[in-house]
Amino acid sequence: MAARTTTPLGWRRTTAAVAAAASIAALAACGSTGDNTASGESGGAADAGSDPTTVEFWGWVPGLEDLVAQWNDENPDIQVNFHRMTGDDGQKVEAAVDAGAGPDLVQLSTHSLPDYVIQKRVQDITEYVSGDEANYTPAAWASVTFDGHVYGVPQGIGPTGMMYRQDILDQYGIPVPTTWDEYLQAARDLHAANPDVYIANLSPGEIGQWMQEVQQAEGSWYGIDGDSWTVGVNDAASKQVAERWQTLLDEGLVTTELMWTPEYWSLVNAGTIATISYAAWFPNALVENAADTSGLWRVAPMPTPAGSDNQGDSGGAAVVVLAGAEQPAAAAAFASWLNGSDETQEALIVDGGLFPSTINGLANPALMEASDFFGGQVINEVFAESAAKTPATWVDGPDYGTAQTAVLDEFAKVVAGSETFVEALDNAQAAVVADLEARGLSVSE
Amino acid sequence: MSTMPTGRTVQASRERDRPAPSDQAPALPRRRRVGGGGAAPYLFVLPFVVLFVVFMVAPIVIAIVNSTFSSQSSGLGFGGASTVFVGVQNYLRAFGDRDFLASFGRVLLYGVVQVPLMMVIAATLALLFDSALVRAKRAFQFAVFLPYAVPGVIAALLWGFFYQPSVSPLVQGLQSLGIDADLLAPGTILWSVANVGIWSYAGINMIILFSALQAVPSEVFEAARLDGAGDLRIALSIKLPMIAPAVLLTTLSTVIGTLQLFNEPQVLQSITPNISSDWTPNMAVYAASTLGRDAHLGSAMAVILGVVTLAVSLLLVRATNVREGGNGR
Repeated sequence: MAARTTTPLGWRRTTAAVAAAASIAALAACGSTGDNTASGESGGAADAGSDPTTVEFWGWVPGLEDLVAQWNDENPDIQVNFHRMTGDDGQKVEAAVDAGAGPDLVQLSTHSLPDYVIQKRVQDITEYVSGDEANYTPAAWASVTFDGHVYGVPQGIGPTGMMYRQDILDQYGIPVPTTWDEYLQAARDLHAANPDVYIANLSPGEIGQWMQEVQQAEGSWYGIDGDSWTVGVNDAASKQVAERWQTLLDEGLVTTELMWTPEYWSLVNAGTIATISYAAWFPNALVENAADTSGLWRVAPMPTPAGSDNQGDSGGAAVVVLAGAEQPAAAAAFASWLNGSDETQEALIVDGGLFPSTINGLANPALMEASDFFGGQVINEVFAESAAKTPATWVDGPDYGTAQTAVLDEFAKVVAGSETFVEALDNAQAAVVADLEARGLSVSE
Repeated sequence: MSTMPTGRTVQASRERDRPAPSDQAPALPRRRRVGGGGAAPYLFVLPFVVLFVVFMVAPIVIAIVNSTFSSQSSGLGFGGASTVFVGVQNYLRAFGDRDFLASFGRVLLYGVVQVPLMMVIAATLALLFDSALVRAKRAFQFAVFLPYAVPGVIAALLWGFFYQPSVSPLVQGLQSLGIDADLLAPGTILWSVANVGIWSYAGINMIILFSALQAVPSEVFEAARLDGAGDLRIALSIKLPMIAPAVLLTTLSTVIGTLQLFNEPQVLQSITPNISSDWTPNMAVYAASTLGRDAHLGSAMAVILGVVTLAVSLLLVRATNVREGGNGR
């Protein structure tokens, strides 16, 4: 059972064992590719002749063990020790950094990065990685850049798509919805045709599913107004999403189980829910947890708001050099190789299940392989298009942990029927503003 | 009185038998040695004092100090943060947090039901095991005690599976009887958590009470039996009053455990949205310090929780003393 605040860790942990087995074969294939470790060499040169520099690295992406081993073979000067993050390791990092005992490198959700920058838990690595910028999508690079300084190397993004059960929609003669209006109609038709079938599950604990739709509607939890933050947890875009789900909830057209629980997967496996809108890394979880439904799923773009063809993104990750790292150049060199090298892209895509934020990753043929689980569809074509149509309106800000907790606590009340989504957003907004102000940050309302 | 001494009179007579130290010559050198500046006693007590200071006093002091500071930034915050003294501001924030206050109400409701229930179950089991009524005592005692050996987190996980309809033989069994039970609903979740607590801790409380019963001299019961008291009368009028200190101890630890409830709801949170991040005071501390990344606010909340726990414990002890004193004299 994954804690609801560490969702990506939860499923990645469960898939790790299988992926690790698969990655051995994959690495054999990519071990002989080009030598693109320019920044790695510069980091290594700094330590030439002395004992090898060791870099402590914590991450959660499946298959990282093999990539680290490959790096260690090729770079005797910089040896990386890898620790696989599980459970609440993500929360331990901060305490460890503050105590001066943290790892050198850590994988981090980009939503959490502003807090790390404000609390000075990460190092400015602009001088080591600025040459990598051209290999990353502008949105990904922007997510690690604050005030002109680069604080991490992007590692994957979460463009969204709608996974749906082709067989269920066909059975009841319902066309694949392309807009949210059609989606509501499909929900009504589906439930009318069979009261045991629902269009979707609305998980009150899944913040990524909420954010992807807010982003699609061009909203953002945070913004910068001069020297002040703006908070938009209850902005117009969020309220638009709120009304959509309030209608679906009020009409009883969705189930409300927590995602990642046995209850949830039993709904998925039983064909009780017909669609799941989520990020490009979700299909791996689906394959893992609903193997019996192989071949029945397809992926389509997430339905769009009226008059828009926007898609959304549930959030990406980055590898950052933490404050305590004594050899930031070496750490950054490894991060740069891990996320951006030609050698690593296929392993990150195939074993890691990442959707790349790199230009060479997006061009990698491994990304566009047909999936049997999805009836032979090349599902990443959908996600790649989604990445291109994601508006660049989302801004990450401080106190993301408080914001996420506040929103999810309120959503639980919505699902329990004791308040509406709009009320929930207003309450969460007030909590986030109060929290920012309590920290002396400037908030303009 | 002489045929049926109570625990208190036994103790009193022992004290009477013990000679007063000042009457005895050997007591003097002992006293002189202490007064003469010998370091031995201090050395013996040192390990305790060091551990106590390092792991008990220091954390409390640090928490109190931390609670009066706050990490403050300015503007967008990218200039970094500095820690400044803010006095009672964190306490005001904690008391201004309706959800934090509500969490105390929640554990109060939980405690009002769970503590008496737990004590009744533990005392009943202890009295049963102490009576002649139960056969295979050791096996049953082991069975009742066994859940205590299961760590709280594991117990919550285990019960979590019993609470989720798709994997629960319990819920499915009820459904087949036509009872549609949702053990994770907003109205039932508190009692589902309480159930885990009782399952886990009834056994240890039973053992403590049972041990106390073993220490009661059997002449007392024989005397009562000769006076015509039945098993039930002996249990309620003799045994229970005589193990009152043990009952107080177990009640106190149960009350404290209730106020500090954390493991079980924190685990069950992953299977139901009806446990919020600040569902109990301890969870609110965790949410503020770890999820909300504000250790200073978390410290203030922890201090408040500590003070409340202390106050409730003292009240309970005092109330019991007053009642005992009233009865005894």
